[in-house]
Amino acid sequence: MDDVLTTAKSCRHYAMCKIDFLGSGICPSGPERGYDSFYPQGRMALYPALAEGRIPVTAKAVEIAESCDLCGKCDYQCYFITELRPSRVMKELKDFVARHLSSGGAVERAPEDPLLREIRAIVGREWAENDRGILVAYSGDPGPLTRPRMPACVVLPETRAQVASLLKLFHERGIPWAVRGNGSQNMGLVLSDGAVIDMSRMKDLVFDEKNWVVRVGAGVSAFDVQGEAFRRGYRVNVAEPAALVCSNVVCSGIFSTFMPAYGTGADNIVDADFVARDGSLFSLSDKAAPNLFAFHPTDTESPGICTGVSLKLHPTTTDETGILVPFDSLEKAVGFAKDCSVRRIGLAITILGPEYVSVFLSPTKRQAAEAKEIFTEKLGIPYLVLLIGDAHAVRSVAEMGHPMFDQRLFRAINLGLPSLRSARWLDLLGGISADEPYAYLKIPGFAEMAEVALSPSPARLMEDVDPDLRPFFERLYARPEMTDLVWLNTFRILSSRMGREKQFSVNIVYLPLEAKLIGEMIGEFERVAEHHRLKHDLGFITPIDEGKRCVLEYDYFFDQNDPDEIARTRLAAMDAGAVIESYSARLGTIRWIRHVVNQGVSRSENLLYT
Amino acid sequence: MSGRGRGTAVPRGGERAFVLTGATGFLGGHLMAALLERGDRLVVLGRPSKSVPLAERISRFLDWSGQGDRRARVEPVEANLLETDCGLSADRYAELKARAWPIIHCASDTRFSELKRREITEANVHGLRGVLGLAANSRTPFFHYISTAYVAGSGRSRCPESPAGSGPFTNVYEETKARAEVEVRETCTRLSIPWAMIRPSIVYGDSRTGRSTRFNAIYFHVKSLQFIRDIYLNDLRTNGGRKSREHGVSLDADGVLHLPLRVFLPHRGRINLISIDYFVAAALVLIDRAEAGAVYHLTSDKPGTPDELAAYCEAFLKIRGLEIIYGPRDGTALNPPEALLNKFIEAYRPYLADTRSFDRARTERATSGLRVPELTYESFARCMDYAVRVSWGADLSGSPWPGGS
Repeated sequence: MDDVLTTAKSCRHYAMCKIDFLGSGICPSGPERGYDSFYPQGRMALYPALAEGRIPVTAKAVEIAESCDLCGKCDYQCYFITELRPSRVMKELKDFVARHLSSGGAVERAPEDPLLREIRAIVGREWAENDRGILVAYSGDPGPLTRPRMPACVVLPETRAQVASLLKLFHERGIPWAVRGNGSQNMGLVLSDGAVIDMSRMKDLVFDEKNWVVRVGAGVSAFDVQGEAFRRGYRVNVAEPAALVCSNVVCSGIFSTFMPAYGTGADNIVDADFVARDGSLFSLSDKAAPNLFAFHPTDTESPGICTGVSLKLHPTTTDETGILVPFDSLEKAVGFAKDCSVRRIGLAITILGPEYVSVFLSPTKRQAAEAKEIFTEKLGIPYLVLLIGDAHAVRSVAEMGHPMFDQRLFRAINLGLPSLRSARWLDLLGGISADEPYAYLKIPGFAEMAEVALSPSPARLMEDVDPDLRPFFERLYARPEMTDLVWLNTFRILSSRMGREKQFSVNIVYLPLEAKLIGEMIGEFERVAEHHRLKHDLGFITPIDEGKRCVLEYDYFFDQNDPDEIARTRLAAMDAGAVIESYSARLGTIRWIRHVVNQGVSRSENLLYT
Repeated sequence: MSGRGRGTAVPRGGERAFVLTGATGFLGGHLMAALLERGDRLVVLGRPSKSVPLAERISRFLDWSGQGDRRARVEPVEANLLETDCGLSADRYAELKARAWPIIHCASDTRFSELKRREITEANVHGLRGVLGLAANSRTPFFHYISTAYVAGSGRSRCPESPAGSGPFTNVYEETKARAEVEVRETCTRLSIPWAMIRPSIVYGDSRTGRSTRFNAIYFHVKSLQFIRDIYLNDLRTNGGRKSREHGVSLDADGVLHLPLRVFLPHRGRINLISIDYFVAAALVLIDRAEAGAVYHLTSDKPGTPDELAAYCEAFLKIRGLEIIYGPRDGTALNPPEALLNKFIEAYRPYLADTRSFDRARTERATSGLRVPELTYESFARCMDYAVRVSWGADLSGSPWPGGS
């Protein structure tokens, strides 16, 4: 496979190119045309399909190729997350289509379809398509369990009434359908042989500050609603920035590092509007609505399509800050996270391993590997607890006697990351931590000393980045929010870097916040991964409900272009599922994400305790 | 006790032979090399290790010390001193005890960390019991225990060459070494095994060559200062030095870095340092001539002061501004490098301002003609030059010596 094709087929489908998370602007043709196909993500699917002859050159494929002006914004966005350079794919796509046209190649016109005519009558001519150049972007995802399925059509409704009409039509005609947000979800749940309903046009965003809610349409991303909420001095509890909030709420419930304060499931929702599978309408707050607050630990069909949700607005304070508290054992890290949760200290709490901290901090894979070695070998930090809180919370943690990386030190380490590699003075830190691990963090002025030693700067951090992209990234990292733990956790733009080296498959469980049990489950996940020869690591552990329970994510990594590794990941996912089922049956206190799918608006009490 | 004899001066069949522990450590390693150099045979008891077998560790040290061609005179025995019969098979243990060689117990955990109390106690007290068991079973003719001058405890000004004090102790290392001395004395007396204690103070590298395999204690202070110096030099040379100026750091015209750093010590005192070459020479004599039931202080008769050490550091590192402040700290805040340096030296602070003096009369009688080399700037610089050359031990990690410090 050539480099360009490999790049195209390595698209993670995170949809980060569909939100302006770097302030660089996004591919202009995407918002203009609406379809995923007109974003870089769609073109990354289109190019291999054409190059490998899986679809012919179609009229829409020509439009898609020609709509790219090679502005390069996708390189900024994708490189930030994955270190990929999609503009090379865009260029090859344009060249491929141009060569085809100049050589007099045929251009396929999508066939007339009576059903499509009816769909277009509901949403408008341009918002439903059966051209394979469009459809291919909706035909697959890079998850290990997914088989590609080319839909018959894609439709982009704009209103709840249109969604209702569509579902009524599909219900009457027995047309299968799937609803899709921004990305492709990587579990095959947004694929269909029938219609794929892309919700991205429903962009309503209405703040009702008197009632502390924001009404979010089904096409609004977490990043966009958080941005507007933040600007107004609030925070909403949302998940991955590119995820459409409504999809996320229904699909898996919101889980974030802010769960200790804001909860999960229905905790964050005042109301939600649905179109049922038969096209009828209901809202969660209707007396006669289906009881979506209940939770059943089984696979569940979606209740329909969520077309809007009223999210709670949470207040913020100007003294919010972030800290990272290091621990030399899982037991101590869990103990601290639990202690903070029980005492209601902090808004966001999560336990991270050095893999993710390193990946989040580093602009490149190579730097991430080095950073991980520094955290584990030189600093001896196997676990870090991230805590976001106000000044009182941070003072409490200090009074509890814990050494910590405060915001200033975090910034110095992040922007000075390359200097850590050669920092011989790190060798001395072990010597002064003999009686108290990480005691150096308590030395007055240590952060200032670190600034002198590490010479932190955006330019320093970007030394390893492709030279032509460096000026942009240096300007980007000159912005204070890029090293602000509060902002980074609120907007979560770094978490997609988890998949930079390889695509990953998640094991997510809700379980008691007990170190022994968590350690056991991690051990089981490790055992499964080792058996199937997969890279694996702890994702996060976040307390919920005053530390009674937590969410544990453990990840398996695989090369999405390696069939053998995909097959092993599939087997590992099944084995890990069996482990979860077994623990769940034995203990009665464990839930897993598989059963939360389509039950995301259940009451957290029902999810966790019934 | 007054023992059955004096040291182990009488060779059997023309060669002397010992059981030695701690031979892969700093003192024990040098002692091993010296014993071999004079033609002795050794059984070395050492911990098993998955990564580097004991024989290999011994070989590396001997190669480093120039005694590699004598390795055939060493019999490595991987042993666990915490287990019955040192964790050896019945046959092996029987064979070992049948030899009835004098024992030199040098193995020790020299860390100060209270957090490591369990491991330190295991090594210094419980491990000793295994060696004393071997001494009892083999009816060893002499038990030499390498202790520390600091078992005297911190509560006295004059420390005689007599049984250990009862504290208070500065750290768990001193405390466990004192406990160990009590066990040696009581056990050996009960079993009528002649014994002697050899108590060195703080040992640095070879005063003649500067070579060393361990870079803690005095080295740690110099290393800390060097790293702080280098941080500011880098800031001045590559980053414009804004932070340096904020901290009052500048590069003087003569190329010397003005680095104002105050080190706070509770009171005036002295630092008792001896070189490894003196330790080895004196220990060899004492192993041969020690009186049974005697204690020997291998300490400096002219210990230096913190001010002298600071001056040495300044000259060696080409810095100025290092100031020792005695007495209670005033209210002025520490600047960041001061806070860092004072934290770095915290564990060693009691040894930098030591007001104790160590009686050496018995040692001087036994080692007449041996002088303690004075720590001059020249010998200091020799040692530090070597330390820098081997990156404070990091460059000893491959060949010839693993994990120098």
